[in-house]
Amino acid sequence: MNMAASEPRRRSVQLDRVDVRLERVESVAPDATVRHVDQLDSDTLEAVYAALSADRSVPAAGTGLEPGEVIVFTDYFRVKRA
Amino acid sequence: MTQYVIIGDGISGSSAAETLREEDPESEITVITDEGESLYNRILIKEHAKGKLPEAPISIHDEEWYDERDIDLSLNTFVTSVDTDAKVVNTHEGEEIPYDKLLVATGGTPTQLPVENSDADGIHHFWTFQDARAIREHAEQANKGVIVGAGLLGIDFAAVCGAQGIEADYLMRGDRWWRYALSGAGAEIMHEGMREVGVEPVFDSGVDHFETDDDGHVTAAVDPNGDRYECDFVGAAIGLDFNTEYLDGAGLEQDNGIIVDEYMQTSVDDIYAAGDITRFYDVLLGEQAQNGSWGSAKEQGRVAAVNMAADEEAEQFEWVSSYSITHFDFPFLSFGHPTIGDEHAERKYSDTEWRRIAFKDGKVVGGVLIGDLSPQSQLKQLMREQREVADQAEVLLEKSVDLDELAPPQEQ
Ligand SMILES: Cc1cc2nc3c(=O)[nH]c(=O)nc-3n(C[C@H](O)[C@H](O)[C@H](O)COP(=O)(O)OP(=O)(O)OC[C@H]3O[C@@H](n4cnc5c(N)ncnc54)[C@H](O)[C@@H]3O)c2cc1C
Repeated sequence: MNMAASEPRRRSVQLDRVDVRLERVESVAPDATVRHVDQLDSDTLEAVYAALSADRSVPAAGTGLEPGEVIVFTDYFRVKRA
Repeated sequence: MTQYVIIGDGISGSSAAETLREEDPESEITVITDEGESLYNRILIKEHAKGKLPEAPISIHDEEWYDERDIDLSLNTFVTSVDTDAKVVNTHEGEEIPYDKLLVATGGTPTQLPVENSDADGIHHFWTFQDARAIREHAEQANKGVIVGAGLLGIDFAAVCGAQGIEADYLMRGDRWWRYALSGAGAEIMHEGMREVGVEPVFDSGVDHFETDDDGHVTAAVDPNGDRYECDFVGAAIGLDFNTEYLDGAGLEQDNGIIVDEYMQTSVDDIYAAGDITRFYDVLLGEQAQNGSWGSAKEQGRVAAVNMAADEEAEQFEWVSSYSITHFDFPFLSFGHPTIGDEHAERKYSDTEWRRIAFKDGKVVGGVLIGDLSPQSQLKQLMREQREVADQAEVLLEKSVDLDELAPPQEQ
């Protein structure tokens, strides 16, 4: 999984019937909710990896991703409704 | 009404406080911390030091959080001793706080390098938000750095230098970064990541002493070979000393950490411990072990609280920990206990992809994944199931791991 590409990554996952995508962001607003990947439970982690790598499908239910929050991984990614 | 006292408001102490309030709504709960701020996100302070993340999102609980739950929070309060006969906690201000049940959740403090001038200005250790603020402020002005400590916390300093434009030398004692968990092939990927951000790994080195100017500011690190590395910024991360001094005489069994069973109970009645400070009985390994990670500390706090409130052995701690490095273009994840094991299997897949699995008595006990983290859940599952699979390591080294390809587990 190479995160260095410069184009924005927009890959969708189905989460509890709400599609969310992870969009790379350059900066974070002071009022943002931010989590590090090591705070995510196993299923949510799996969903994040899958959303960021083109070739994996994602278990839909049981992830704790909240639209609007920022996940710190190899870049900062905002969770957005697709 | 039961009186619970928790020493430490890190993630383990705070998660215990939250759980205690849920499990025992009528109880009295006191949380004591020597820090001047309530729970914050210790694993994000490095992002602040890198200059990437503002302060506000790093805070987790404001003081209202404690008020809403009727939890008494004492900031800036250092616990000096615990009287286990009188069941009282003593603070630096002479206050005596009685407890029925006590949780020790005081973590550790970075070890200072035992060399000349290691307390000079410009030499940083990294544990608290205050440390992060000071590192950020200094790093924004510094030009030349030295990093000491070839482990998971040392690499955060490398990332700070990279992000803040400090050209740095990373002085390592052995021939590679985190040599207890990585072979040369895996470590080289990490070295390349460092070089790409302007940090040069230096092997078979370390620090013999620091040089300072007349104002006491660090000017150079000299390694045991006599090589001199000029610097105005130093990050030292050679290990943690557990915060147990105040427990001297309390009778808690210790062995480089506080010994607890799988219920987080110490050797003294009504005293529990959680988080980095514990040497806990790991039910998956079948022996005492240590974890220095956020998820594990949070879960230990929760499990301790469940057992404290139940006043019996209600739930055991069973956890596969993981720890990520997110500073480079490729991800890194270590899970379980990657530094122990009697057998290892590893493979390199590309310039940025590598995997190593540690086995003990044929079972997966930990590992490190670089670049491709996709097998993490299968490998963790095998750890939880304690299946003997070392003789089928080939299946686990396939690019895509399919557990159905393993021979069915033998009846025990
Ligand atoms: C820079 C950095 C980066 C990290 N990155 C990661 C990561 O990416 N992933 C990961 O999983 N983990 C990471 N960790 C480790 C993780 O933060 C710890 O494992 C976790 O925070 C431990 O929590 P704890 O509650 O056990 O201890 P702590 O968070 O250390 O809390 C203990 C508290 O007790 C207080 N205390 C100590 N002695 C006393 C006393 N006598 N009286 C009163 N209060 C006292 C301390 O001041 C402290 O506030 C990182 C740690 C650091 C420092």
